[in-house]
Amino acid sequence: MYTFLAFAHKQIRSLALTTLLGAGLLLNIAPASAQQPVDTKAHPNDFVQVVANNALQALKKEPEAKNGNIERINELINQYILPYVDFEKTTRLAAGRYWRQATTQQQKDLVDAFKNTLVRTYSGALRQADNVSAVTPLPFRGDPQADDAVVRTSMSRSNGPAIGVDYRLENVADGWRIYDLNVEGIWLIQNYRNQFAQQIAQTGIDGLIKALNDRNQR
Amino acid sequence: MKNIFKKISRHRLGKIVPVLALSAVIAGCANVTNPVAQDPFESYNRSMYAFNDTVDRALLKPIATGYETVVPKPARTCVAGIFNNLQDVWSSFNSFLQGRAHDGINMFGRVLFNSTMGLGGCIDVASMNGSQRIINDFGVTLGVWGFDSGPYLILPFLGSSSVRDGISTAAWFAIDISPPYAPIFEIDNIPLRNSILALAIVDLRAGLLPADRMVDEIALDRYSFIRDAYIQRRQALVEGRHANTGHTTSRGLPTDDQGLSVPDYSIDDEPAPSATPAQPAGQ
Repeated sequence: MYTFLAFAHKQIRSLALTTLLGAGLLLNIAPASAQQPVDTKAHPNDFVQVVANNALQALKKEPEAKNGNIERINELINQYILPYVDFEKTTRLAAGRYWRQATTQQQKDLVDAFKNTLVRTYSGALRQADNVSAVTPLPFRGDPQADDAVVRTSMSRSNGPAIGVDYRLENVADGWRIYDLNVEGIWLIQNYRNQFAQQIAQTGIDGLIKALNDRNQR
Repeated sequence: MKNIFKKISRHRLGKIVPVLALSAVIAGCANVTNPVAQDPFESYNRSMYAFNDTVDRALLKPIATGYETVVPKPARTCVAGIFNNLQDVWSSFNSFLQGRAHDGINMFGRVLFNSTMGLGGCIDVASMNGSQRIINDFGVTLGVWGFDSGPYLILPFLGSSSVRDGISTAAWFAIDISPPYAPIFEIDNIPLRNSILALAIVDLRAGLLPADRMVDEIALDRYSFIRDAYIQRRQALVEGRHANTGHTTSRGLPTDDQGLSVPDYSIDDEPAPSATPAQPAGQ
């Protein structure tokens, strides 16, 4: 019995050593291999992790983006994030029942204005990218084949406690797309619905588009 | 004993009454263009919000900004860590009250670790070792016990709250305990105690500066933004990211097993807008 334990212990130790070495090798290779291809039909957790890691890596390599060069940030976002985001859906849900009252042009303008607001918002957060050491998905407990899924992740930082970030995904014809985001319990769309409704009640849909654009110019 | 209690509560009541009177005076009428179910007192709340905002801009924010400018970052991190450590004691206690023993033990371990190896919380060694900080307070505890949050409520000086959370704050205040800062009140040296309290307030406000800047940048209307964020955040805390309770959402969303509900946007999103162009309703 005792010998078996000793044997098992040794096995585990060598296993641990191999894993460590393996991890070390991976870490060494990682900067060279850089971007992983995104598989939109993969398991939701894997999809989100690859998208997040690609964006994070790209950002860390970009001193200009970190210094707040908005054009460069826009390019990066267009390349690494927007292909996997259904921004029209985000805007549509934020506008709620008013969406159907808007003309096609208004809808398009609203999507653009809201997108710019959020890009500007997150460009501030992106300056903190260096402090983010890893994005780790938490165990997925739903049905990975469903049309609507939530991926919960934990973003660990070098300068403070980890932050909980959740992603809401929809399953469309060409795979997963992100449409809502939760930071520490606060969903993005939910937090804009009342503001949108309020602004529309005061100044109409055009007023809302103008208010968003005015903010973006500041 | 009874007399002492009476004396304390009268003394405390004497402090609460002027605050209530003040709030009645300040709260004039503000226009409400988009009534929200969770915020029936919006008119009063907006006035109180404006009052708090004025006090903040005139007094607290400048001091906090000065603190942020003058005091070097490592020192501020240390101060914040020490007060966070005090808060963690209270969080741990509340996790136990909520029956979330696992969280409670984790947080208690955090406190032990940070208090010793982390020099009283100055260095957050627990976070560095991957320990999650699970923030909790008595308002959340009441929520877990089944008390509804009630309407959103802005308290004078203290800001965002709800009827439930406000009652919790007022109740502790009335029995002369102010968690999580109760240990500070045990200090007998009054000038020292007051300095530490002032530092706690400045630290609290300075910690909010980044969030404050962010809200300035992205909110269309600060009041609504903060209200909706507060309501969502409190609900998430009650439901518990780490808890395993058996919630289900109406649409059977994947969060069922996690005990977290996600917003249901389906009411506005169901009928395809392009498929039925002729809609008599609405406009």
